[in-house]
Amino acid sequence: MIDTIINITLLAFLATTSVAIVRMTNLFAIVMLFGIFSLLSAGLFVVMDAPDVAFTEAAVGAGISTVLMLATLALTRNSSKTPYTEASPAHRPWLPLIVVAVTGAALVYGTWDIPSFGDPNAPAQTHVARYYIENSIVETGVPNMVTAVLASYRGFDTLGEVAVVYTAGVAVLLLIGGRRPKTAVKLKDKGEQDEA
Amino acid sequence: MIIDILSWICLLAGGALGIIGGVGIYRFPDFYSRLHAAGITDTLCAMLILLGLGLQAGWGIAAFKLALIFVFLFFTSPTASHALANAALHSGLKPKLDMESRHD
Amino acid sequence: MKPNLILHVVAKFLIPLIIVFSLYVQFHGDFGPGGGFQAGVIFSAAFILYALVFGLDAAEKIIPSQWLHMLAALGLVLYAGVGVVTLLLGGNYLDYTVLGATQIAGQHLGILLVELGVGITVGAVMLIIFFAFAGRGRT
Repeated sequence: MIDTIINITLLAFLATTSVAIVRMTNLFAIVMLFGIFSLLSAGLFVVMDAPDVAFTEAAVGAGISTVLMLATLALTRNSSKTPYTEASPAHRPWLPLIVVAVTGAALVYGTWDIPSFGDPNAPAQTHVARYYIENSIVETGVPNMVTAVLASYRGFDTLGEVAVVYTAGVAVLLLIGGRRPKTAVKLKDKGEQDEA
Repeated sequence: MIIDILSWICLLAGGALGIIGGVGIYRFPDFYSRLHAAGITDTLCAMLILLGLGLQAGWGIAAFKLALIFVFLFFTSPTASHALANAALHSGLKPKLDMESRHD
Repeated sequence: MKPNLILHVVAKFLIPLIIVFSLYVQFHGDFGPGGGFQAGVIFSAAFILYALVFGLDAAEKIIPSQWLHMLAALGLVLYAGVGVVTLLLGGNYLDYTVLGATQIAGQHLGILLVELGVGITVGAVMLIIFFAFAGRGRT
């Protein structure tokens, strides 16, 4: 009962936030609203008993990515100040509206076949989840099943994820790492990063 | 029983303060008075709610964690308000004075 | 009074707390919510707070870019290295059971090391990205 109320409240806030993001033109405010959106999602994950995911969402979505987007905004310019006016749409809004309505109707139709939340007979639960639930504490001795699955059972997967994170860091360094090459010294710095 | 009543008083007062802060942000005329409304009520609101939750939790690790959050908010929340006001003043936002606001 | 005195004092008080919390999340991830990804992000948040309050140059003095580049690679190498060690000890790749005397001990050690690798890489990469973005602005 109380879960339902919290869910409905959080989802209403999420919907309101996303509408506000769409209608807003000030990019700084939009970045802040993105942070709020992530925080609300984190709250939703907590209600769904997924504190690990909520933790990540709150730390990454509401924390780091807000800072990074603000840094990006500081690099570029606040677009509401530039003398750029949006071109008027080339066609009537009916076609996009119909496409969106049909897609939405199809998705809603699809949700009727989705098993309800926490259904033990759902396809996602019948494959390996049962094995993890029954055996993870015996086989790994780690009470947090998420950690056991993440680091042990699906170690390859996580290794790949770490490699992705590392690749992202290297890519950022190659693209915008090193200061603006005003001096040649900085270029040498960039060369070192390439080797790393 | 008494603890229940106390904690409910704390929770309701905290929630009411949060709503008052929201109304203040919506109603007040300029940035500084809005910050005044939000910054003051926000800190006390969070603290009262944490206190209420702590009373519900009883002595234990949960209460200890709530106390840590309490300390964290006690320092960060006013600092955030201060930093915000400071930054606004630095970037040249003037407080709206009494005479001007009457005309709105 | 310096204009940022309050910020400086509070940041100096908070940053150790944030780092301790990130270590708690890192090493308590076996028992409660948390793990390497979250811990790395929180760890980097401490330094980002330092950079925001005290300036980028001071932050880069504390944790130089070269270190970050090495740390980012080190975490990944640590993770992959655990796999190589398990291979050498006669198990499958990333099969931690062979690391310890018992299966539980081996799994525990393996998960701990792997999560540490994840944390180091994620924290370092977050800082690299932040420094790259924030450092770009100055001329």
